[in-house]
Amino acid sequence: MGGWAPPDAEDGLPRERPLYRQPWVAPLATTWPFLHSSAMQTPDLQALQRDDTAEWDLAFHWLWPVALRAAQIVLQPYLPGDVEDVAMESFEELVDEVKRLCTAEEMKPLWARIARTVRIAWRAHAKVEELKPLLAKIAHNRAVSRLRQVYALKRGAGQKESLEGRQEDWGDIPEAIAPDDPVGALEHKEMAARLGRLLAELKPPRGEMLADFFLRGLTYEEIAKKHAVALGTVGVYLKQGLAAMRRIWGRGGKDV
Amino acid sequence: MNDQEFFDLALKVIGRRASDGERGQLEVLLASRPDLKAQFEEIRDDACLAKKVLPLMEAVESSSGEFPAYARERLLTKVRQTLGQPQRTRAKRGWSWRWALGFAVGATAVVLLLLPMLTHPGEPIIQVVMLDTAGPVRGEDSDLDALKAQWKHSEIRTFDKAELDTWRTNWPSGAKVAAKVIYDRAAGEVRVILHGPGKPMEKTFPVGQDLAATLRQAADFIREQTRK
Repeated sequence: MGGWAPPDAEDGLPRERPLYRQPWVAPLATTWPFLHSSAMQTPDLQALQRDDTAEWDLAFHWLWPVALRAAQIVLQPYLPGDVEDVAMESFEELVDEVKRLCTAEEMKPLWARIARTVRIAWRAHAKVEELKPLLAKIAHNRAVSRLRQVYALKRGAGQKESLEGRQEDWGDIPEAIAPDDPVGALEHKEMAARLGRLLAELKPPRGEMLADFFLRGLTYEEIAKKHAVALGTVGVYLKQGLAAMRRIWGRGGKDV
Repeated sequence: MNDQEFFDLALKVIGRRASDGERGQLEVLLASRPDLKAQFEEIRDDACLAKKVLPLMEAVESSSGEFPAYARERLLTKVRQTLGQPQRTRAKRGWSWRWALGFAVGATAVVLLLLPMLTHPGEPIIQVVMLDTAGPVRGEDSDLDALKAQWKHSEIRTFDKAELDTWRTNWPSGAKVAAKVIYDRAAGEVRVILHGPGKPMEKTFPVGQDLAATLRQAADFIREQTRK
């Protein structure tokens, strides 16, 4: 369509691109800034599935912070040297998932594929957004596995250290390492939907405060200072944030 | 102690941000009011869920962290291995039904365009009559021969004027297109009457020196009109 091909197209096959990703749109966007939508900065899922190098380059930059942060949150205090490795492996797993999504699409009946083709322009962007939670979940699970492996190796090497023993050296062991992880077991599409709802529902500064308390280990006083609010308000925001989370995920993730 | 104060105390203990005094206070509170134990467990469950969900949420929202250049080649290799050649084959195969659909639509359009040309109403029935007011001519009649030569497959009849009026309104049943050719020797003209799906047509050809030429004109006219 349109005869456009990236410079590194090796097989000479023309590459399909949505309208907003056509090269002639970029110069227009300098004149009309409204054309600078987020869609222009995000990769196109169909192009990714067609092994479009230019589109994958865009995806690497768009998704890398997600993989990196998910791995950092689990590994940074204990195995900082493993963070990038885990992020990279997660990305590789994501490529398999992109292929799986493509195959699932192919299995759909003809009418469903025709309907999909019709709504492709506006659906493509929404669908590619699901890659972020999917990659976060992959990276998180991989980071947790890596951490468990290290614990298991140390114990297996004759060091009679329990998790609790290591905890004294390493501080607070992440909750994620616990074997029961209902959130991690959730189907990625469902998880992406719930995360999207949660992000929409956690009005600032609730989400940030929850992360400060549970991920960064800040005290009530530190959080109040950081967000320039009264000490008594911190607890109120945290309570409201947890309530929103419970509404969407169920108590303790038990609805998952 | 109100709900919010209990929540703050419980969360601090669960999140290990409580002082010894606060921990002691909670223990005393839970021992004296067993109804608060359920509430404490709920807060613990919520905190547990938050520890699972928040890392994902923060990762999804993250936009910092430069993609390392060394990672590009390794990941592109993985992309090519996973989505490379077989994927292209799949993409081509995926188009096959679209090609089939396009071909079917194109063929239908061509057939619809050609249909009027291909389905012309067929050969018309031509009835020929020679109007002869002077009565039969002895010996060979060259005019009759000319009519026979032009319309070999039609019966050539000879009428007088009285019979003609009945004959000219009597069209063969079942025929989509029919033509009546009337050669009026006395008037020196050939009249052609066409009867078909459209409006009836009539045209008169004056006979000059050459009857055969006039008959050919009449025949061409019939052919031309019935082909439309």
